[in-house]
Amino acid sequence: MDAWWQCEVPYPFIPPDVLTATDSVRASLPNRYCDPKIAADLFEEVIDEFLLCDDLGLHVLAIEHHAGINSLLASNPMLLGILARQTRQVRILTLGTLISLRQDPVRVAEEYATADVISRGRLEIGFVKSGGSEMASANANPINNVERYWEAIDLITKALSHHEGPFSWEGKHYTHRHVNIWPRPWQTPHPRLWSATGDPDTAAEVGRRGMVHVLVLRGPEGTRRAYAAHRRARAEAGLPKVTTDNFAYAAFVYVGDTDEEGLRVGSKLLWFLHTSLKSAPQYSRFLPGSIEPHLAPQVYRSAPRPGATTLSANQNAARLTSISVEQAQAQGILFAGNPDTVYRQIMEFYDQVGGFGHLTLIGRSGYMTHAESEKGIRLFSTEVLPRLRAIKPVTVD
Amino acid sequence: MPAPDAVFSNAVGTSTAERLSVGGVDLEVIRRGAGRPVLLLHGMQHVSPDARFLDLLGRHAEIIAPSHPGFGNSPRPADFETVYDLVRLYLAVLDSLPYERVTLIGLSFGGWLAAEIAVACRHRLDRLVLVDALGIKVSDRETPDILDVFNTSPAEVRRRAWHDPARWAPDYDALSDEELVLRARNWDALCLYGWHPYMYNPQLKRWLGGIRVPTLVVWGASDGLVTPAYGRAYAQCIPGARFELIARAGHQPEIEQAESFVDTVARFLGR
Repeated sequence: MDAWWQCEVPYPFIPPDVLTATDSVRASLPNRYCDPKIAADLFEEVIDEFLLCDDLGLHVLAIEHHAGINSLLASNPMLLGILARQTRQVRILTLGTLISLRQDPVRVAEEYATADVISRGRLEIGFVKSGGSEMASANANPINNVERYWEAIDLITKALSHHEGPFSWEGKHYTHRHVNIWPRPWQTPHPRLWSATGDPDTAAEVGRRGMVHVLVLRGPEGTRRAYAAHRRARAEAGLPKVTTDNFAYAAFVYVGDTDEEGLRVGSKLLWFLHTSLKSAPQYSRFLPGSIEPHLAPQVYRSAPRPGATTLSANQNAARLTSISVEQAQAQGILFAGNPDTVYRQIMEFYDQVGGFGHLTLIGRSGYMTHAESEKGIRLFSTEVLPRLRAIKPVTVD
Repeated sequence: MPAPDAVFSNAVGTSTAERLSVGGVDLEVIRRGAGRPVLLLHGMQHVSPDARFLDLLGRHAEIIAPSHPGFGNSPRPADFETVYDLVRLYLAVLDSLPYERVTLIGLSFGGWLAAEIAVACRHRLDRLVLVDALGIKVSDRETPDILDVFNTSPAEVRRRAWHDPARWAPDYDALSDEELVLRARNWDALCLYGWHPYMYNPQLKRWLGGIRVPTLVVWGASDGLVTPAYGRAYAQCIPGARFELIARAGHQPEIEQAESFVDTVARFLGR
């Protein structure tokens, strides 16, 4: 098993009264609350943490989010460029530029090819569907988002792997009459592709395409279901079976010297759920295209009708934003403790979902300090990672 | 291309929703009343068959009120993606109706469609009525004319859409499952068609001067989605257009002030 470390560079330093008063910490919170001097310190610390990962042989992962306290990484290729140059040995996964928000996928292909060349072939390219408040921030139509996602992936993949001079693309959402990127990527035909999704339809397409399939904080049931949809779609399409190397899982992970330390510091990661998810209804349950219309009765009402068997969207959100440390551990959202405990938790989850070949660690969030983060990276890399590396890919039915 | 004749699937004159098929596109359609034919194009929501203004206006006119593809119970063909698919559909509807000339009334988003149709079609219309219509850009580049209903809090949209929200704004907790499902369909369709540029065609204003049919622009005095000033600017772009305010009404004067709305429209139709 491989492991990938990441930090979304959250900005938690918002006065509590502002957090309480605002209806959204994403998309609409004025950026006067973001002090660029503090932001610079955060970037410096986190990039140093990425470089520590490189020293210790722990792969790194760069995400992208827009206009919120949850992440200052609005420009994925900027961080990617820094990591491509400043790391020397580990692989670098972009997960990734939010392509359905970008108007020109060819430009994204240029950015990725450049990062692959600078890193001399250490890039892996992950795609994320995006949604929610990102749509407002990027002026992107939430309807047809998934169509744009796949068309952009197709265009980027062709731009990375076509070497015979300009080709023309006249698709439904993107047109580009003269595609011929320089440099071409280091890896041929192109860096390995990943996709993050939990919904069964997209999971099936990820499976048919043979991409590495990432589940983020989904817990055992949702993760097992999505992996199964991936495998089933391949079987139905007559494609060969895949190994656990095609599956990845992202969780909050923190390793301390003791269980007490691991849990005490690791629980700081839950800030992401408790505080940074607050999103106004227009960016969440009323976002067009985010649900099938037949689900509107559950999602649009503030509370379910008496006798309803499913939770309303409000209740679901409340369940996540008020999750306790114990619940997060029980649901495979947080792996925290001493090295033995964390290894055991990861492997219990591994067995519950049918195995995966990549663990992506959300390793720093909220008010976790630089020193705490570096300690966790060191302990994970030296005490847990060697044991995970011993777990080889296996074919799964 | 000659459009095929319109095919209504139920008997003419019933008050329940019927189906209308034009060029292979299937539409839910409400028909009401008798008199001069009126094609009524709805706004952000499809027209409810229970809307009071339908019966009042039906005393003066025969109303044909389809739900746009994707709205209400009208399916959306997979390749229907833009306002111009709707405009061309309704041009075909006009050509296929068994009337030489038709009065076109457009509400809100449907007002945008009506203005586009009036620009493109001079020979099948006898009157044009735009009600709190969207579709053009009036103010400078940093002043949005049309409230962004997708990126504004639902509470603020509600406050600005109605003169008396407590009385008229829908309560999602009280609506039936079926009504909520239709609202979700309407919301998705509106977003698909209207997201970008947001609810207007940058080129439309240039062509409004070519409209030759008598035109009435009606506006809710309390409309906070598109203000009466925008409505006046709209009317000034159309040669000879009259502008009328409806007091104590927001974005949907046909709902909040059904009587005075219908009186205003009927006076214009009778001129």
